Amino acid sequence: MIRLERINRSFVVGGETVHALRDIDLEMAAGDYLSIMGPSGSGKSTLLNILGLLDQPNSGRYFLQGTETTALNETEQAVARRDHIGFVFQSFHLIPRLTAAQNIELPLMLAGVEPTERTERVAAVLEQLGLGDRARHRPDQLSGGQRQRVAIARATIMQPALLLADEPTGNLDKHSGDEVVQTLEQLNSRGITLVVVTHDPEIGGRASRRIRMVDGAIDPGHPLTGSG
Amino acid sequence: MRLNDAFGFGLRALTGARSRTWLMLLAMAIGVASVVVLTALGEGARRFVANEFSSLGSHLVIVIPGKVETTGDTPPLVGGTPRDVTLEDALALERSSAIQRIAPLVLGAAPVSYRQLERDITVMGSTAELMPIRNLELARGKFLPETDPTRESAVTVIGDKLKKELFGNRRAIGEWVRIHDRRFRVIGILKPLGESLGMDIGDIAVIPVASAQSLFNTEGLFRILVQAEGREAVPRARQAVIDIIRQRHDDEEDITVITQDALLSTFDDIFRSLTYTVAGIASISLAVAGILIMNVMLVAVSQRTAEIGLLKALGGRRGEILSLFLIEAGLLSVAGSTIGLMVAYGGVWLMGRIYPDFPLLIPLWSLGAALGISLATGLLFGILPARHAARLDPVVALAGR
Repeated sequence: MIRLERINRSFVVGGETVHALRDIDLEMAAGDYLSIMGPSGSGKSTLLNILGLLDQPNSGRYFLQGTETTALNETEQAVARRDHIGFVFQSFHLIPRLTAAQNIELPLMLAGVEPTERTERVAAVLEQLGLGDRARHRPDQLSGGQRQRVAIARATIMQPALLLADEPTGNLDKHSGDEVVQTLEQLNSRGITLVVVTHDPEIGGRASRRIRMVDGAIDPGHPLTGSG
Repeated sequence: MRLNDAFGFGLRALTGARSRTWLMLLAMAIGVASVVVLTALGEGARRFVANEFSSLGSHLVIVIPGKVETTGDTPPLVGGTPRDVTLEDALALERSSAIQRIAPLVLGAAPVSYRQLERDITVMGSTAELMPIRNLELARGKFLPETDPTRESAVTVIGDKLKKELFGNRRAIGEWVRIHDRRFRVIGILKPLGESLGMDIGDIAVIPVASAQSLFNTEGLFRILVQAEGREAVPRARQAVIDIIRQRHDDEEDITVITQDALLSTFDDIFRSLTYTVAGIASISLAVAGILIMNVMLVAVSQRTAEIGLLKALGGRRGEILSLFLIEAGLLSVAGSTIGLMVAYGGVWLMGRIYPDFPLLIPLWSLGAALGISLATGLLFGILPARHAARLDPVVALAGR
């Protein structure tokens, strides 16, 4: 489903070139559960951004569901993000003036889905994530765990094939964090491909496949578990 | 994305940041209101002057003794002493088929007294024709009799203000007043017309032209008012006046002929350009409002960087993000101009109440122009921030940098 071939990404910072990713090869099947760990600056977020089509590699090829995304233009990539990829961020990124339901509705709105269908789908996903009574609350009226679950609802409302989570529990206490991880894993068990970037070895260890990044490369000393 | 969703999103963004939105609405409203009110004032001034002219009478050609050249070489410092235009000259004009009626005019100041009361007023010598030509109306009594204009007659028609000052509430018709050293019998009282080109109709006494000539000891007329047969006949009447007077004055054109239309259109032009000028000045405030909108939108874009990054991550295309911000700017313009128009109509209504004589009117073109300019500035100055937003790198934007 996903295949990265010799992906390189470098930034120029203060006149110096920093190699964030070096010759990354990675293959994932549909329904995989992958965690990416590693110290700060090891390139794990850059890898996630490239997987999410938010960033483009300087060289290498990225196939998503058989399509070579590196050949797509900006608009086509935006549409691919909309239809195939969901994001969950550490800081939730909910729009503060919108209610939970309106936040979840955003991807459907961008995709031009009929308002009546949107309402139905939003209600269904809210119910599914146990947020049925929070639909009309704004983010500042929700707890951290609830906010992250609203964000997950938003990430999955388009029924994407790939769900990318960047430190999804980083801003949460232990209890809410566990709830969020369970929610993500439930989604994975229904077939969605899940990629989690995390510092937390406990959370990273739950994944069926784990990779460790060091200095922009996948650490070969680290045992890969599960299929791949 | 659906258009009504985009509008809903913009609306929620605007209502989500109240103080910012009110600030921009205020700027836009002031701009639009000032354009509309100022053009209404200019247009009102134009109509005021036009009304003044039409109260002078219609299809008028005014004959003034002496030639005033406004073109050609430097005119002599002192115009050549003009030959008087006499009553006979005036009566000769009646021969022309283009001319419906004429009223010779002799003007002078003289004391008018009744018993112990005396007032200095303007005495106007003319004929019965003055009434239809100047659209005069009588409050009481009769106007000058239609007799031979060359004959003197000791009758007078007085303005209503003069009547009040001399007679109070007593009956004036039939009473004798003294003008200078002669006695005249009051036969009529004019209805008040208000100011007419600076001459107060209420404060005059009208006497037969021959009586005025002997009262002021003059042969010459101050003016001849000529009424043409119709609007189309005005140029012919004008030519006829020039021809007839020249013939009578030994082939010398020593009169000035003004047509009312020419005067009116000159004033019309002046006031119209004045209105445009004022509107132009006022639209500067609209441009200022546009720049304010641009500034505040730029601040909004930088405040909402993370939101823009999110929209991009959710699959918002560049064009969609551009149109979201443009719609926001457009909504601001439309709402601001609506408020501005309400303020303008309120202001004009209020001024109409305070100065009922001044014919204030908001011209349609100024409505269109104000709305158009405000929408254009809103969008124009909205483009820069919107493009800025649309071009943000999603990774950088999401990091809120």
